[in-house]
Amino acid sequence: MTISASQHRTRNPLERRYALLGVLLIAPTVLILCAVIVYPLISAIYLSLFSIYTPTLKGSWVGLGNYAQVFGSSGFWGALGTTVTWTVGTLFLQIVFGVAMALLLNQNILFRSLARSLVLFPYFVSTVVAVLIWRWLFNDLYGILSHLLIQFGVVDMPVDWLGKMPNAMASVIFVGAWKFFPFVVIAVLARLQTIPEQLYEAATIDGAGVFGRFFDVTLPQLKEVLTIVILLRTIWDFKEFDLIYLLTGGGPVNNTRTLPLIVYQQAFGLNQMGIAATYAVAMMLVMLAFMLIYLYRARRQAP
Amino acid sequence: MVTVTFDKVRKAFGEAVAIPSLDLAIASGEFVSLLGPSGCGKTTTLRMLAGLEQPTAGEIMIGERTVNNLAPSERDIAMVFQSYALYPHMSVRENIAYPLRKRGVPKADRPAMVQAAADLLQLGPLLDRKPRQLSGGQQQRVALGRALVREPKVFLLDEPLSNLDAKLRAHMRAELIELHRRLGKTMVYVTHDQLEAMTMSTRIAVMQGGELQQFATPAEIYHRPANTFVAGFIGTPSMTLADGEITMDQGRPVLKLGTLSLELPADHLSERPEGTRRVTVAVRPEDILVGTGSFRANVRLVEPTGHESIVLVNAGDVGFTVRVAGDTVLKAGETIPLDLRRERIHVFDRESGRRLNADLAAATADPVRSRA
Repeated sequence: MTISASQHRTRNPLERRYALLGVLLIAPTVLILCAVIVYPLISAIYLSLFSIYTPTLKGSWVGLGNYAQVFGSSGFWGALGTTVTWTVGTLFLQIVFGVAMALLLNQNILFRSLARSLVLFPYFVSTVVAVLIWRWLFNDLYGILSHLLIQFGVVDMPVDWLGKMPNAMASVIFVGAWKFFPFVVIAVLARLQTIPEQLYEAATIDGAGVFGRFFDVTLPQLKEVLTIVILLRTIWDFKEFDLIYLLTGGGPVNNTRTLPLIVYQQAFGLNQMGIAATYAVAMMLVMLAFMLIYLYRARRQAP
Repeated sequence: MVTVTFDKVRKAFGEAVAIPSLDLAIASGEFVSLLGPSGCGKTTTLRMLAGLEQPTAGEIMIGERTVNNLAPSERDIAMVFQSYALYPHMSVRENIAYPLRKRGVPKADRPAMVQAAADLLQLGPLLDRKPRQLSGGQQQRVALGRALVREPKVFLLDEPLSNLDAKLRAHMRAELIELHRRLGKTMVYVTHDQLEAMTMSTRIAVMQGGELQQFATPAEIYHRPANTFVAGFIGTPSMTLADGEITMDQGRPVLKLGTLSLELPADHLSERPEGTRRVTVAVRPEDILVGTGSFRANVRLVEPTGHESIVLVNAGDVGFTVRVAGDTVLKAGETIPLDLRRERIHVFDRESGRRLNADLAAATADPVRSRA
């Protein structure tokens, strides 16, 4: 320590000028990040310690009372379960569809570049538009899904896709997978293209079949990119709001009401900004815990 | 006994013909190099043998078996790739055991086989490492271990040394020769490096433009190149190639090279030329003598490499490349006496490039036995 400190002091003027330039260059970014990330974060934690009426933003100090209320309520734990179900379900489908589609698009198929562009379509469409289209398709009176199923004799009566459980959860999970799997496709396809062809040839000569080559060459090579994709998609799916809110509004009877929907409800429906902030902080803690475990395991498994 | 035979094999990629028609018969236990410049079809030939490419026409046989319609895994071959193609997430042990696992060798038998391969290649201490923790030469040995662990009939090696530095390459060359002698297996080796081909092979197949130029022992190829391509391709520095004319004078062929005129031995050519024959002549740098003889040569450039020097000289309007001992003192601009070893002059037909020397048909010793 003493050595490095004395080195600091004896740094020559040129080095000091460079250091100052570095600080100046990095300062705008740090300030902006503080304004849009650090301040809201601290503010949310601060708000969660008050009982606040949203329209006036006035209220009284309750300390950890909000947390006691939230963690003591069945609403929180139920919503957490719903959130986990939604996240795990939609993430699983995104990964399976995404990897399968990436493998397909990595082959020399006809119209490959056209297909590669088209597959991004769901990701580009705004959520509101996508949800409106899906609600149309799902509609039990004039929706084409029920219509087709009846036509082919699979069911006798129109299916209530969004108004009944477990249909509603399944529908939300499916639409979520449809909307977000292109992200997985892009990331995985980019990685697939860098896997050396010789690895596949070596495996072929060593006696590996199609599945052998997938599990022994492709999948291990995709491991790193899948770690990142799963990490990002988990975060984004966990806090997904608009798709679920627009599709079911959390219904039927709160069965698809995930934590972000409760935050919204508390903040702007029930005007309880303090409780809403508490839910938001609780969500952050859950995700933080998950991320730490996940990253720790991923790092330990990495060669 | 495992021979490898290409019978009128043709390979076209769409319109582009990579190999028009290849006939090649490799004897059992041989170490054959496919040698040629980039794009000569040597790698395509190897990949067809491996089953990674399908021939357009013709027949490929390993032993008595036609393998055209067999999958790579059914051909009982092993291949070492230029990039080694080790499975990066598997340890050395798992890499070597992989072909055993995929071929259903009982789990209990695998460790002994892996150990045997590791012992042969001195990989013992590295078995639990991952490929990226190994040096290039070690990775190369692991790739060899993975190839030889299940004792395939034929080894295919695709430029396996080209990613190594010069010193390691020389070391691995010796190891490969040793390995071939101990295993006695048929090996097919692709390279663009003539030094590798010359030092390791029992026979070399020189290829150019998808066509086989010459298939013979290294000595044969060096001393009796079959055509002008082989003559120009083999040897460093290259032979001097020059156009000339041969006429008969009192029963002896006389070669006119620029303003030089040389009388060749009476039995030098396989056929007596009628009148004047247009030829291309090739002379090895070591077959040109300086400081003696009746020709006058002008020194253009001296390239000393230590134990020898390469000298570029002009004599009778022809530029020659000459190899002299390192202690020979020569200066650019100097005029020196020069002579050619006439019995070592290679003569080719100028139109077809075919060798005209009488010694072409000379018998070749058994290539495999010469190694042991």
